[in-house]
Amino acid sequence: MAKSPVVTGISPKEGPPGTRVTIRGEHLGFNPNDLSSLKICDCECMLSAEWKSPNKIIARSGPGKGRGEIIVATRSGGVGTCTVQFRGYHETIGPLKESAVWVEEAPLNWGRQNSAVTIFQLDDPLGLSVEGDDKFPENELSELFPDGSGDLLSENFEPAWFLLEHHHGTSFDDLRVGLSYLKRKVDSQNEGQLSFLKDNVGSVMEQLDTLFLLKQSYEADFEKNNETLLRVEEAINQSLKEATNLFHGVLTRREKAEATRNALAVMTRYKFLFQLPINIDRNIKNEDVDVIINDYARALLLFGKTEVSVFKKILEEVETKIQNLRISLKAKLHEMPTTLKQQKKIIRNLVSLNDNSDPGWEAIIYMKQFIIDKIKSSYQQYITEEQVNEVPNKNNRHPHNKHKRNISLSQQIEPQNIEPKKVLCIDEIATVISDYFPDLWKLGQNYFVGDLAVKPDCSHETDFKEMILDIIVTVSDIYRTIMLPTTTTSSFSPVPIIWLPHCLKQIRSVFTVLMALDLPNEALNKISNVIFDLRLHCLNILFKQASEQIVLLKTTEKWKLEYHSKQGTISQMPNEFYKILTEAMNLAKEYVIRDESRETALVNNETAKSELQLLVHKCFWNISQVLEQVGLNADTNCSSTTIMSLGGSTVTGFKLQNELTWEQKLLVTVSNSRYTRNLILPKFKKEFEDNGFPTIDTVVIRAIELLENTESKLLETYIETKSDPLVGTIEPSMYVGSFEWDSSSLVPPKDVRPYAKEIITNLISLHSEVQTIMPDLMYAVLSAVIITISEEMSRLMNCVTHFSENGAMQARLDLMALTYALSNYFTPNSKDFFCDATDAVPPFKTEDNEKYITKCFEQFKARMHLQLMCFLVPCMSDDETSIL
Amino acid sequence: MKKNNVQQPALHKVIMVGSGGVGKSALTLQFMYDEFVEDYEPTKADSYRKKVVLDGEEVQIDILDTAGQEDYAAIRDNYFRSGEGFLCVFSITEDDSFQATMEFREQILRVKNDDNIPFLLVGNKGDLTDKRKVSLNEAQSRAQEWGVPYVETSAKTRDNVDKVFFDLMREIRARKKEDVKGANGRGKEKGRRKKLKCNLL
Repeated sequence: MAKSPVVTGISPKEGPPGTRVTIRGEHLGFNPNDLSSLKICDCECMLSAEWKSPNKIIARSGPGKGRGEIIVATRSGGVGTCTVQFRGYHETIGPLKESAVWVEEAPLNWGRQNSAVTIFQLDDPLGLSVEGDDKFPENELSELFPDGSGDLLSENFEPAWFLLEHHHGTSFDDLRVGLSYLKRKVDSQNEGQLSFLKDNVGSVMEQLDTLFLLKQSYEADFEKNNETLLRVEEAINQSLKEATNLFHGVLTRREKAEATRNALAVMTRYKFLFQLPINIDRNIKNEDVDVIINDYARALLLFGKTEVSVFKKILEEVETKIQNLRISLKAKLHEMPTTLKQQKKIIRNLVSLNDNSDPGWEAIIYMKQFIIDKIKSSYQQYITEEQVNEVPNKNNRHPHNKHKRNISLSQQIEPQNIEPKKVLCIDEIATVISDYFPDLWKLGQNYFVGDLAVKPDCSHETDFKEMILDIIVTVSDIYRTIMLPTTTTSSFSPVPIIWLPHCLKQIRSVFTVLMALDLPNEALNKISNVIFDLRLHCLNILFKQASEQIVLLKTTEKWKLEYHSKQGTISQMPNEFYKILTEAMNLAKEYVIRDESRETALVNNETAKSELQLLVHKCFWNISQVLEQVGLNADTNCSSTTIMSLGGSTVTGFKLQNELTWEQKLLVTVSNSRYTRNLILPKFKKEFEDNGFPTIDTVVIRAIELLENTESKLLETYIETKSDPLVGTIEPSMYVGSFEWDSSSLVPPKDVRPYAKEIITNLISLHSEVQTIMPDLMYAVLSAVIITISEEMSRLMNCVTHFSENGAMQARLDLMALTYALSNYFTPNSKDFFCDATDAVPPFKTEDNEKYITKCFEQFKARMHLQLMCFLVPCMSDDETSIL
Repeated sequence: MKKNNVQQPALHKVIMVGSGGVGKSALTLQFMYDEFVEDYEPTKADSYRKKVVLDGEEVQIDILDTAGQEDYAAIRDNYFRSGEGFLCVFSITEDDSFQATMEFREQILRVKNDDNIPFLLVGNKGDLTDKRKVSLNEAQSRAQEWGVPYVETSAKTRDNVDKVFFDLMREIRARKKEDVKGANGRGKEKGRRKKLKCNLL
């Protein structure tokens, strides 16, 4: 028994089933047949084993898995051992599978190889064994016999070649023996054929029979199994077809997979582009325009010049989406109202999206249109509402009282508190301007500076200016139309006075807004003109209102008297008048006169100045008128007279607190006038000028004249009305009781006659009246009345044809008494009249008479001392009179 | 049945590395079977093991013959991990293969993480002196630089074939003995190794 085989090497040491393995070791068998078993990983691999040498066997690994030994068994040495291990692993390897191990693509036919030596070996034809190793060089042979061959079976067999090849070392004798052997062999074949047949006829026949039988049984078998065979054939064909189909299927699937993978790879590679439309949609929804712009620019950069149709298609889609975006952005741009920031952003976006138009300019145009429309619409709305409201009801309760005038929650909202439509309209326009115009202007500025990422079209500059002017002109026109009556078609009621300052404020705020924008002067001037006109109008209205209120004073006069230390008693009227004036002035000052920046100074304007003077004058004129009317018309409801008459009319003493006689009212009016003239006017003038109004000297002077006129007129009336009845009573009282100056029955006078006392009493009452109301006028009034009295007295005395002695004494006494009493108030005229009267009375007859009369006069003085006191102390100090 | 044998001789695992076609397999086969294979057939990964007598002691040598082709570079790491000693083979007739040894050395050091791993630089095809491209000096200086022995072999004439394997096994054996010792005083061992490295530098 030989040594048992040992495997000491394996190449490679691992692989999937079917790996061609070289096994090395010792004592692996003497020859192929000696090898009895080869196990790799417990798998019998004998079928594929190829014995090379006792040291080397080549085989293919079986389906064994994992590490395992390689055990070789030989007939001679038995089962062997092994020092190395093979690792088998399974791996599905296909055309698509990468493998670290080389897989031979040759058909895996290990089961089919014959391990036996298949070389056809002929015995030497000469029956000689070949001796010696050294062969005849083959290339020499082919040189010697270019057309020949050493192969016995070849057509161009060359015997010499054969001999040289196989027997060039054989001795000649041997060759001769060989030849005889060959001859013998040929002879035996040639002549032996027939005899051979003859010898074996029986067995030949037997063979024939057997063949026949074979044929029969084969045919029967064929008959029997024909169907099966056909079926098998068919099945084989079928499976062949199936296999082909499967193969093609695998191929096509593989192709498909490949294509899909390629497509996927392309998709991932150009994911950006393919997802761009979706991304754009999403970003549009999210309003992430910047991202879209970025993506779009990137897409254009990357694929803008692509020739690939798919990309082109997607780009087209993207392009349409971007176009839509542009359109929507533009729509958004045109959508008003919006903020400047938004607009700018949209414009920038549009520009970034390669929009060909000029979005900045478009935005400007749309914005301008929007503002104009807005202004016009609010104006239109106002007009229509005005028209509607004028017809059915004046109950203009506007829904939104958005302004600060605090409106009580109660339903009885005073109509003044509800903003008139007009004011609302003004407010609205002002809001529009202050809200949107700055944006427009800034947008324009940005546009021309080039901040909008657009290259500014400089030709638009004039257009822009025109647009700005257009808006300004529209606004100013509307304001003018609404507020200034001079330009209206007079279909609208003027703005109520209380709203004027508000309107003015609104317009001013507009102006301020505009000014802050650094607009061209041309535009600013438009507005400032409107403001100026409006201020003028305001002024006009304010003072007109004041003068109207002044006119109303005559109806509101309550005759609530107050005593004023210097000016006498006055009613509320002068102070009311002053109040009205100062109110108007303060309002005017607050809203109108105060110049705001860049406004034309109203005070310095000539027209304004003259207007103002006119207005103030009108006020003054009105007050003088009112005073006059009040003074003269006060008698309608009160006809009572306070003149005491000896004729027995009842004396109605006036009660200062309750009711004034019209004369008193007249006097109060005079006093009012004086008060106004002396105090109110200078006060007002000072305040007026202090407040920055233009000087009104001439107006005041004229007003003083007016008032003086009025006063004198009133005073005249007063004196007239006072003296007329007084004078009228003298004559009847003188001759009361059939008194005759020449009557002889007259007794010497004892006292002054009653008529004279009556005159004095009446004068006292007059004095007291004047004293109460107007002490300053005392002298003027009394002296005037006294002139008429003296005139009457002189007339009466001169009319007396004859005086009796006693009558003359009496007359003298009377005249003396009167002269004494009234001398303080005598004017030269009245003195003359009294002298006349005295001259008409005959002089005293006797000295006794004169003495007697003097005595009587003294008595009278003593008796009447208290009564006469008021006349005798004509210039009483204010303090003393105030006791009254 | 042999597995259970407790008295298995010591096993030294040797790995053949080097570029393709330098003669790793030839050296191996010459050593294993005294056979010189003329025809070239690229190796994937071959495994050989046999008993040899090393300095009178019976030991087993396990040789892993690896693929030199770059195609298999990726799987080398795995193989290297199991190696205890390396024969880094190049062909003295091919400069590229000599240059490639640098890479192999680096890879081995990286995988083993040990600067002192038993390692022999082997210049093969020593019989083809007329085709020499890599000078002896060049190779020796590199070996010196690495601190490893350099041997020139010929697989064809079996020159130095046994010597390289046995030298390597001796180194491996020495290392193993060291490691056993080192188990008691690892720190000292490491320090020694470090020091050695410093000396080399």
